[in-house]
Amino acid sequence: MSMEYTELQVTSNFSFLRGGSHPAELVEVAVKLGYTAIALTDRNSVAGVVRAHQAAKDAGIRFIPACRLDLIDGPSLLAYPTDITAWGRLCALLTKGNLRAEKGKCELYKNDVFEHAEGIKFIVIPPDELNTWFDFDDAFKQDLKEYQIALGSDLYIAATRSYHGDDAKRFYRLSQLRIPMVATNDVHYHEPERRELQDVVTCVREKCTINNAGFRLHTNAERHLKPIEEMERLFQQYPDALAHSREIAEACQFSLDTLKYLEPEWVSPDGRTADEHLASHTWAGAKKMFDDGEFEKVREQIQFELDFFKRRKLAPYFLRIYEYTQKAEELGILHQGRGSAANCAVCFCLGITPVNPAKSNLLFSRFMSDSREEWPDVDVDFEHERREEIIQWIYETYGREHAAIVATVTQERHKGAIRDVGKVMGISVDTINRLSGAIRDFSEDDFDRECIVSQGLNPDDPLLKKVLQLTEELMGFPRQLGQHTGGFVITQCKLSDLCPVMNARMENRTQLEWNKDDLEDLGILKVDVLALGMLTCIRKAFDLVKQHYGEELTLANVPQDDPAVYEMICHADTLGVFQIESRAQMSMLPRLKPREFYDLVIEVAIVRPGPIQGDMVHPYLRRRDGIDKVEYPSEELKKILKRTLGVPLFQEQAMEIAMVAANFTAAEADQLRRSMATFKAKGLVSNFRDKLVAGMMGKGYTEDFAKRIFKQLEGFGSYGFPESHATSFAHLVYISSWLKWYYPDVFAAALLNSQPMGFYQPAQIVIDAERHGVVVRPADVNHSMWDNTLEEKDGKYCAVRLGFRQVNGLRKDDMQALIAGRETGYTSISQLSNAGVPQAAIEKLSDADAFRSLKLDRREALWEVPALNDKPIGLFAGQPSESAMEAQATLPLMTQAEHVVQDYAATGLSLKAHPVSFVREKLNLLNVDTTSRLVQLKDGGLVKVAGLVTVRQRPGTAKGILFITIEDETGFANLVAFETVFDKYRKEILQSRLLMVEGKLQVEGEVIHVIAHRFFNLSTLLRGLTAAQNEDMPVLTLSRTDETTSAVTSAKEVFHKGRNFK
Amino acid sequence: MPKRFMSIWFRHLTTDWLTLKQPELKDVPFVFAIKDHGRMLITATNRVAEVHGVKAGMVAADAKAIIVGLQVIDEQPGRAAKLLNALGEWCIRYTPIIAIDLPDGLMLDVSGCTHLWGGEREYLKTIVLKLRSKGYDARAAMADSIGAAWAIARFGRVSPIVESYGQATALLPLPPVALRLEPVITERLQKLGLRTIGSFIRMPRSVLRRRFGEHLLLRLNQALGNEDEPMQLLQPVEPYQERLPCMEPINTATGIEIAIRRLLESICKRLQQDGKGLRTGVLKCYRVDGKVEQVQIGTNRASHHLEHLFKLFELKIATIEPALGIELFVLDAPKVEDADPVQERLWGEVGGLDDTGVAELLDRIAGKINTNVIHRYLPDEHYWPERSVRKAATIMEKPTTTWRISRPRPTQLLARPEPVKVTSLVPDYPPMLFIYQDKVHHIKKADGPERIEREWWLENGERRDYYHVEDTDGKRYWIFRLGAYVAGETNQWFIHGFFA
Repeated sequence: MSMEYTELQVTSNFSFLRGGSHPAELVEVAVKLGYTAIALTDRNSVAGVVRAHQAAKDAGIRFIPACRLDLIDGPSLLAYPTDITAWGRLCALLTKGNLRAEKGKCELYKNDVFEHAEGIKFIVIPPDELNTWFDFDDAFKQDLKEYQIALGSDLYIAATRSYHGDDAKRFYRLSQLRIPMVATNDVHYHEPERRELQDVVTCVREKCTINNAGFRLHTNAERHLKPIEEMERLFQQYPDALAHSREIAEACQFSLDTLKYLEPEWVSPDGRTADEHLASHTWAGAKKMFDDGEFEKVREQIQFELDFFKRRKLAPYFLRIYEYTQKAEELGILHQGRGSAANCAVCFCLGITPVNPAKSNLLFSRFMSDSREEWPDVDVDFEHERREEIIQWIYETYGREHAAIVATVTQERHKGAIRDVGKVMGISVDTINRLSGAIRDFSEDDFDRECIVSQGLNPDDPLLKKVLQLTEELMGFPRQLGQHTGGFVITQCKLSDLCPVMNARMENRTQLEWNKDDLEDLGILKVDVLALGMLTCIRKAFDLVKQHYGEELTLANVPQDDPAVYEMICHADTLGVFQIESRAQMSMLPRLKPREFYDLVIEVAIVRPGPIQGDMVHPYLRRRDGIDKVEYPSEELKKILKRTLGVPLFQEQAMEIAMVAANFTAAEADQLRRSMATFKAKGLVSNFRDKLVAGMMGKGYTEDFAKRIFKQLEGFGSYGFPESHATSFAHLVYISSWLKWYYPDVFAAALLNSQPMGFYQPAQIVIDAERHGVVVRPADVNHSMWDNTLEEKDGKYCAVRLGFRQVNGLRKDDMQALIAGRETGYTSISQLSNAGVPQAAIEKLSDADAFRSLKLDRREALWEVPALNDKPIGLFAGQPSESAMEAQATLPLMTQAEHVVQDYAATGLSLKAHPVSFVREKLNLLNVDTTSRLVQLKDGGLVKVAGLVTVRQRPGTAKGILFITIEDETGFANLVAFETVFDKYRKEILQSRLLMVEGKLQVEGEVIHVIAHRFFNLSTLLRGLTAAQNEDMPVLTLSRTDETTSAVTSAKEVFHKGRNFK
Repeated sequence: MPKRFMSIWFRHLTTDWLTLKQPELKDVPFVFAIKDHGRMLITATNRVAEVHGVKAGMVAADAKAIIVGLQVIDEQPGRAAKLLNALGEWCIRYTPIIAIDLPDGLMLDVSGCTHLWGGEREYLKTIVLKLRSKGYDARAAMADSIGAAWAIARFGRVSPIVESYGQATALLPLPPVALRLEPVITERLQKLGLRTIGSFIRMPRSVLRRRFGEHLLLRLNQALGNEDEPMQLLQPVEPYQERLPCMEPINTATGIEIAIRRLLESICKRLQQDGKGLRTGVLKCYRVDGKVEQVQIGTNRASHHLEHLFKLFELKIATIEPALGIELFVLDAPKVEDADPVQERLWGEVGGLDDTGVAELLDRIAGKINTNVIHRYLPDEHYWPERSVRKAATIMEKPTTTWRISRPRPTQLLARPEPVKVTSLVPDYPPMLFIYQDKVHHIKKADGPERIEREWWLENGERRDYYHVEDTDGKRYWIFRLGAYVAGETNQWFIHGFFA
């Protein structure tokens, strides 16, 4: 009779740095070996069970979710919950252990286990070695007695053939203990070959190398899954041990699938159902939001959606989002929803999203339908500075037992994996660095022979080969559980009935052990509470508008479709505006010429790696400009592609094409998208490619088109940008543009107050504001607040007063003391000191030249500051200090140029002048044009421009091309350097603060580029801005001519180095 | 007459040194870097890299972006100090008073030395040129004060030699950093526009003190020579070497014995004073005919025990060929170690390896037969039996791990397992009998298997299944089967050891 065997002791790589295989790999081999069930017992964690569960479900075998409990005061136990309540108890037990320890640890005691033991089968793990009497120690036997009393007939003991030479003796001793023996293999990897990797992760864990790991490794490679016949042979003398494994497996009929039914019921305050509540909120909202004409138009849509939600039992989910967005409303925190379900009419009526579905012609069914088993996805963005309030409100309102953040599983990536393996294998740090240098920044490709050779390494060296092989195996291993950026699971039942809860790294946060894919697989809904810097900026802007212009603005009431705003956008005058401020976006704007809202949606989505890699951008532009004819590959695709002129630009479109044109099921299409995001599932991706291309060609599409679609999907996988998100973002693009157009003063101040954010330095924001006619005033001890503020009208707009936050190194509380002590205004520096402003802060203020209202320039102020120290005290208090009597020292006068340099050093910007203006004369001698002259020049002409480097960018999508932006006193110039030029002038490009370029002008409508031919480092000109140093000193006779004296802080170092590519 | 000081500045101290060691680096840009908050921070650059604008303090990744192919080498802390020490010792030929001036210089008190080289200019030139020809990019300057010499060596542009009492004038055009000030102070001076020493040197002292602190005044006074500055003098180490010239050539064994004893007496005395002991001793005998006879002894633990060392040499005397006679004996102790002073007191009372008597006995046996005959073994953390023990390098070496007793190991392990023929039943079962050296052993009792895998990072090959067996004579053996059992195939069996 063939016996059945179930492997019950399995450690996967979710026991971080212990297991050597993925849960799915283990399940796969179990299936191959003919197992009908398998358990997973990671250490004090169930983080890996969902993946194993899913894999087992796909393969059609049974999975037993379980856990190994490592206790502080007793031998370890394997725990197998038999039903859903026992599972809840196990999760509660782990939660208890997690919450009393710091993140990543779990502290459990025997008594905790006993309290939660009901319905759980246990296997106790005996010690590895027998004592000198060939027996188990008395202490262990004592513990066993205790376990026996507490756990009774649910307790078994593990018997493992570990081939340590004393297996027979061990088994004999185990059989004497009068506890039923269970055969296990203490599996750590799915196949014996993984022993090597398991040894490596052991070394990483123990922080040693493979050569000095010694006895910390296992003696042999026996800890893999074994065929059932082999198990029968190994346990010939103890057939009961095998039978018991089956006994436990049979007892544990609990499946993770049943957890779905725990999905919360919405507790109604008044007895009406969730659906009724949702409907009443929605209709009430609809009355408010729509005028009568519109209302008739959307009535049907709303009813359709409500019915849909009712069918899918989604009302509680939307009500929950409604609850916390209402809370944000109450607290005055700006928020905006996005995601596949967020752009529906119901969400608009509930105030979750301000995008009016009646206008944006977004079809709900495009995002959700009955045929697709997809879960709704609503992400809500909040102001980044105030999101924590909402998070804490959620914790408070629902309780920590009912709300927690979703986990993210941090994986070993190329660089980390090579570092870990390299260290363990004892290769030098230098070689490791060179190896990881051989990996391209932007790809997660396999190791490239050529790259390795180019680093001077021999890819055929056996050690190196081994390292690379192990690295590839290690890649994708989970390394730790982090918290998701904002995904929450909120349940009515205790969360710990579903999944263990643990402390997150951040204070006051608790999180789950499962990530979003795990939850999705189990059908547990999450909501996203995200942070968005631009919302902070917009809220601050709204506040300023209200304060200075008396207008009450909200995300919903900003006037839409203003042609003036679109005109500004068309001219790429969008510095600081949400999303469309990057160099790439800005150069797209004059070509795309957005005139209506949907154009902005496209603009947001088009300049993304997905469409760029898929080569979709140019065809779209050409069709839009009427150069190419709009045509569709087929009639069925016309429906999908019509709104983007036949060119797929959005993630949804690519997925729909896969479904319509290649007969993918919705689930497959979704799986495809997800597998792209996790680079590890390599084999899977190429399967999908073949399927997609074959499917499309089968339906008569060209191979080229099919491959392009796949390529785009690939891009979307990692940087996905769906239409539903683009729509919400486009709304913020419009609002920030509107603010910038009508209130440039407000916009600049709000933007500065929300830094760090976006692409630009404060200096550029200020310069941009000045160009738009805003007066910007310097920080001053008598006028500034911590934030940048608006003062009375000066010209068309209010003047912006820079705040102390722009001054480097100042602390907020010091400045609060300064403001509190200001009264009628400071007249001397010592008053600041009396007000409790520390001397260091006063020195920083003088560096920033903030004493002008006291008629002191920075140098005079700085001279005064140290003298504050000898304030007469005690008997002499109130007497003039000694320094007041000393003869006035004469300090060298500062030139304007010097002041500008110091302004930059202290605040990163200067209102006095642009640094380049001081060297303009010299630049004129070199025939250098100002950047503002470029517009008057002809396409193809040779030009020379020079300026401070503000941005250097090398996007992964444009191979080898470097984009540089320089700035002079008249404006910006955009430079393009091709790889050969970059290689040749690498030093100049990277080192220059003041960069001069010689090249060809390329004018495409309003988009002007300088295609660089040669670069020159003119930074030395800047050095001349500070009084020349040591210039009157002849050269030391014995010294070489080319030497420099050691550097004193020179002017060129205070300028921002420019944003660098990484 | 004031004192005279010379400051030497090595502009690329550590990188020059590496170039000397590896001449192929001469035209290659390279830097030393040290890990700092997860980045590699450059600590020193060579000339080639410096020309490209790479400076100490930059992040290595940035520098690499500037220079393609820049070599980043790990900095070893303390190397600069070591190098300066060596360079300082070399400079002792020019003056006995030398101090190391970290991080990259030397300070020489040259008062009264320079005329021996034909004046200050010649003196300075000689040293600098010698250093440069050695490969060190050095600059030097001379002045009445340490501070002034330091400043001129690094920042001076006029003449490297400041005339006596001329330092005040020479300092005027130099930047404030030349005064060796803290960065905060130089920064503040810079901001105030005080860019040369001359711009503030005449300000009232009280004003300067109030604004820049006592330190500035101290440095100023030191540079001007108004305040003394202590020097941490370099102490050269004298080698443990003793010489014994003979009035008449020695050609008898007794004579040699006496000579050795004399030399040992003085060397042992010195060693004892310094708390050191000899590990290697070399006796060189210079013969009248110009040939040199040499004998060498070694000890297992550092010793300055005269009688013991003498005995070791005594064994070698026979090998010395005096020929016409020896006129000079030189005893060198090239390898010395710290010796535990306690050992003298506890003489003969400790047992085991701590007993110096054991070590001395071993020294003598080794002296008589050969050093390679006596071995000491220590346990090593390897499962693979051949690697589970290793030879100890010294008698004093402490085991890094304990001898494991949890798994049976034979008292005698064969250096190389020897094949045996077996008759066995099934996998995982010990054989019924094995034939070793033509003798049939019937197995009565057996235990196992203990499965040991190869250490995959060291070698490839098959695993072993070890059995611990007892034959009918009651003798016990350690045998193993190589490789996994595959039905239908026979495995090779080996014997690997004998139990007591």
